[in-house]
Amino acid sequence: MLNKLTWPIPAVPILAAMVGIGLTACKILPTPSEENGGNASAFNADKMVGDIWTAKVVAYLQQKAGPFPEVHALAKADPAAAGAKYGNPKKQANSPWTFAVRLEGKVVAANTQSRAATMDVDADGDGKADARVQIGPAMRGTALRDSLDFIQFNDFTNQIDFAQFGKAFNTYADKTVLSKLPREGLEGRSVRVVGAYAVGSGQDLPLVTPAEAEIGPKP
Amino acid sequence: MKLTRRMTLAAFAGMLALGTAVPAYAADLIAIITPSHDNPFFKAEAVGAEAKAKELGYETLVLVHDDDANKQSELIDTAIGRGAKAIILDNAGADATVAAVQKAKDAGVPSFLIDREINATGVAVAQIVSNNYQGAQLGAQEFVKLMGEKGNFVELVGKESDTNAGIRSKGYHDVIDDYPDLKMVAQQSANWSQTEAYAKMESILQANPDIKGVISGNDTMAMGAYAALAAAGRKDVIVVGFDGSNDVRDSIASGGIKATVLQPAFAQAQMAVEQANDLIKNNKSPAEEKQLMDCVLIDGDNAAKLETFALTN
Repeated sequence: MLNKLTWPIPAVPILAAMVGIGLTACKILPTPSEENGGNASAFNADKMVGDIWTAKVVAYLQQKAGPFPEVHALAKADPAAAGAKYGNPKKQANSPWTFAVRLEGKVVAANTQSRAATMDVDADGDGKADARVQIGPAMRGTALRDSLDFIQFNDFTNQIDFAQFGKAFNTYADKTVLSKLPREGLEGRSVRVVGAYAVGSGQDLPLVTPAEAEIGPKP
Repeated sequence: MKLTRRMTLAAFAGMLALGTAVPAYAADLIAIITPSHDNPFFKAEAVGAEAKAKELGYETLVLVHDDDANKQSELIDTAIGRGAKAIILDNAGADATVAAVQKAKDAGVPSFLIDREINATGVAVAQIVSNNYQGAQLGAQEFVKLMGEKGNFVELVGKESDTNAGIRSKGYHDVIDDYPDLKMVAQQSANWSQTEAYAKMESILQANPDIKGVISGNDTMAMGAYAALAAAGRKDVIVVGFDGSNDVRDSIASGGIKATVLQPAFAQAQMAVEQANDLIKNNKSPAEEKQLMDCVLIDGDNAAKLETFALTN
């Protein structure tokens, strides 16, 4: 799916890292759920996510995602219309919309002190941050899971399985994409992300969870 | 005692209806069964459901099962026997409840579950539950922030038979365990109980005086833990709860407990009654059986807007 991306600036090592995803995903790493080992059921969230990641998850987001400024403007003006176009129409009734987005812009600030590291991205060129991108390793929420219209809570035995499944998306994104991103000197670099964000209630910036992310070279 | 009085009142209301309105016609009955009202959370559910049912023209039968599956089974028999048109149920166990709800279904009485799930689908018409995982993540993220991403902490877990105890703990750990400098020095169940949490907290504190925070599976345990900490002169310990009770709201306002997570108990119970009404009057079932309602973080910024498990604008 990488060839669908049009990267505006010269090829960068990150692209190579992206191409390497398929290979690195084969590396067997101990996962927290295996360590905890309490759940004797056959349910294996990490494997389920690994199995659908490239063919279904990334493909779906690529196809569904709209440019962030467009999605965000429509979400503010007409949430239902934005939901119909970029959201998951099968979401839970009282849940906020979760939108698939393509975010391109410049990093204007970064917080890599926290383990829930983020970078603030200016998408419209006014120098001000428009969205906050999670770059892990700790990540908040279940935006990736919730953006997918083929994932239904009703298909899971209970909230615990559904929750593990949601967490597994973040773990997978961290393992295969985000942990490979640079952490130093992010300000001023160009960035390109395909992911999802849930409409927040607070005054914080929209929090985007990436399924794909590329960071350009230092300016 | 309370129960008999309610039933008598309900019967009396029924007689009144018979006498004054349409003869030979009593309002349809909705049974509302929850755990003990000693916990204000369950009381809010019952009050919310009852208010909505009355507003929609129903009689109500309000019962409590005290988290006893046998008692719950008897109460469901009572509801069936009284000819209830629907049962609103916050159940007494994810496994034990399946047979009881099936029994009601076989007798033609649909059940609408709130707050707690059961381990079966297709038995209840609806299972409307708080997104406990999402809520636990909100609470844990705030806890991590308050802790400055490091330090020793204690977790108080709820009653083991309740799915929500496990899922909240899981939600907490899925966030907290990403921070290696946060160390859990004790994890104990206080069975959702305030007095038990007080006693457990006392002994945990003796063994681990160097704790910086306590994350609790619900508000009643958080209240118990904070009381024990305060009694030991340790008001500096960061306490975070779950539920959004008025007690914790007041504690937050006075600088005690730092945060909690609101479960929309009142709205959830009312939504269940609305769906029951839709089935009774229009023969329309909810689109999905399992429905999740999102929780909201409560801290110093919005605590004042919290009243009886609902946020006002």
